Amino acid sequence: MIPAILSSIVFLATLILIFTEKLNRVIASTIGAVIMVILGLFFNFYDESQALASVDFNTAGLLLGMMVIVAILEPTGFFQYLAISVSKQSKGKPFRLLVLLGAITTVISMFLDNVTTVVLIAPVTILICEILGLSPLPYLMAEALLSDTGGIATLIGDPPNIIIGSAAGFTFIDFLTHSLPIIAVVWFVALLILRLLFTKELSAKPSNLETLQDLNPKNALNDPKSAKKVIIVISIAILFFFLEELLAIKPSLVALGAAAVILVWVRPPIQETLKRVHWDVLIFFIALFILIGGLEASGVMGLLAKQIALAGNLPPILFSLILLWGVAILSALVDNVPITIALIPIIQGLGGTGIPIEPLWWALVFGAGLGGNGTIIGSTANIVVASVSEKTGTPITPKLWNRYGLPVMLGTLLVASILYVVFYYLVY
Amino acid sequence: MIKNYMKSKVIYLSTASTILEAAAIITKHHIGLLPVVDDQKRLCGVVSLQDLLSLELPAILTLIDDFDFLNDFGAIETTRPTFREVTRPITEIMEPPTYIFEDSGLLFAYSVMLKHNLYDLPVVSKDMLLVGIVSRVDIAVKVLSNWDQIREIPQ
Repeated sequence: MIPAILSSIVFLATLILIFTEKLNRVIASTIGAVIMVILGLFFNFYDESQALASVDFNTAGLLLGMMVIVAILEPTGFFQYLAISVSKQSKGKPFRLLVLLGAITTVISMFLDNVTTVVLIAPVTILICEILGLSPLPYLMAEALLSDTGGIATLIGDPPNIIIGSAAGFTFIDFLTHSLPIIAVVWFVALLILRLLFTKELSAKPSNLETLQDLNPKNALNDPKSAKKVIIVISIAILFFFLEELLAIKPSLVALGAAAVILVWVRPPIQETLKRVHWDVLIFFIALFILIGGLEASGVMGLLAKQIALAGNLPPILFSLILLWGVAILSALVDNVPITIALIPIIQGLGGTGIPIEPLWWALVFGAGLGGNGTIIGSTANIVVASVSEKTGTPITPKLWNRYGLPVMLGTLLVASILYVVFYYLVY
Repeated sequence: MIKNYMKSKVIYLSTASTILEAAAIITKHHIGLLPVVDDQKRLCGVVSLQDLLSLELPAILTLIDDFDFLNDFGAIETTRPTFREVTRPITEIMEPPTYIFEDSGLLFAYSVMLKHNLYDLPVVSKDMLLVGIVSRVDIAVKVLSNWDQIREIPQ
């Protein structure tokens, strides 16, 4: 009983430090992980080799591989090239500009890191809006909300998916058949809500259309050769993601392999490239896995799963929906990665009690993904877009975010819930 | 010493001035740098052309590495700062001054300019009173005018 109590205290204290931002989340989680292992050794419930085994290297490897690939693609100007090209296609029509910029951000976020995507595309968006004399607000909101939404559609689209996919054994194809169809509908719902919320801004008349037509996207592409090489390798990597089951290879191997091939082919300056890798995110994930591993080893997770299963006389549909909305609300308020990592052993524990857990995994995917849209701190992409917007006349404040992001979160969650029930309980 | 070659009739601004007044003085006198002094005439800041013009430039440019995909800034070209922005006190946008003392050497003054990428440098007395201003041209004229005395040294 003592190990369970102690490990819970360490875990909760770490969470409080992370969520109140009293301490940087990487530092807080690292300290928490170290204390967890020390207590584990002292009270005999957790040791170093168990801690190491609790880290999901499939998640870490996949993340690292994709981060290296993005780090090489970033300085080529490829992202800016795409943003400028589609802006030119819009012919300056505001709603068309919003749809095109939103769509390109979504497609990139389905395969690459959301944060890098918005970091590179948002400044160009602001510049183009200012050239046209339009308020950048609707376009920035659309990019953040649609990139978060698009990321839910694929295994590699956002970190919770990578973690859940690895724990539940879902393949790239599983995500395309189970998540993509629902997300495709939800994406249009989000777009529709944005259209309604920004009716006034989107009927503004742009000026200086000839400047837009004079834009030369090719000038933004600093290094077309490297960009081409990276895109070719990413395409081949995606093909391999499809073949995961057939070839019995893990997605992490595909991502790390692709990163290695690109490194050899492009030969970027390695120090600079590695500086662009988000090591803090990797360390945060590893520390969280070690913390949760401690909770599992001390028996807390099993206990929780049992309690939930006892209360689980609820109809399965209701139970799943409570999970989906509960995770969504939590993800809007705090980082969705710790929530996802913490819920994994609980759902696995529920599997042991005979509850069908496959739908629960997908409830976790949709909840963690869509919940992040609700508040300015719901996802890192939101925070980044808000901070970039400080360079405009209408900085995105938390209040402003709630006015536009919250309706999108609630609307998309509602539609996703309906489709989820239809797909997972009535059709399958 | 720099005090022999500086301009001692300095156009300057008091800390009570607004951004708009600074712009008016700069346009009237065609100068690039305005020292700002407190009521005892002690140097406490400088306003450069760049500080004023950056109010017209879109702030987002600081986040974009290169913008050679553009030819012009469209609507940005004709956007003016608002009345509220230009009536702010000058102390909000002035920068901490880079200066030299009146007894500094010419080449020393020039190297301070090079290091900070400046074209004009306020000159102060030991107790920080603004006594003059010196430009690269002032220094260059003095230094280069000495060159006609360079003679071949007989072997």
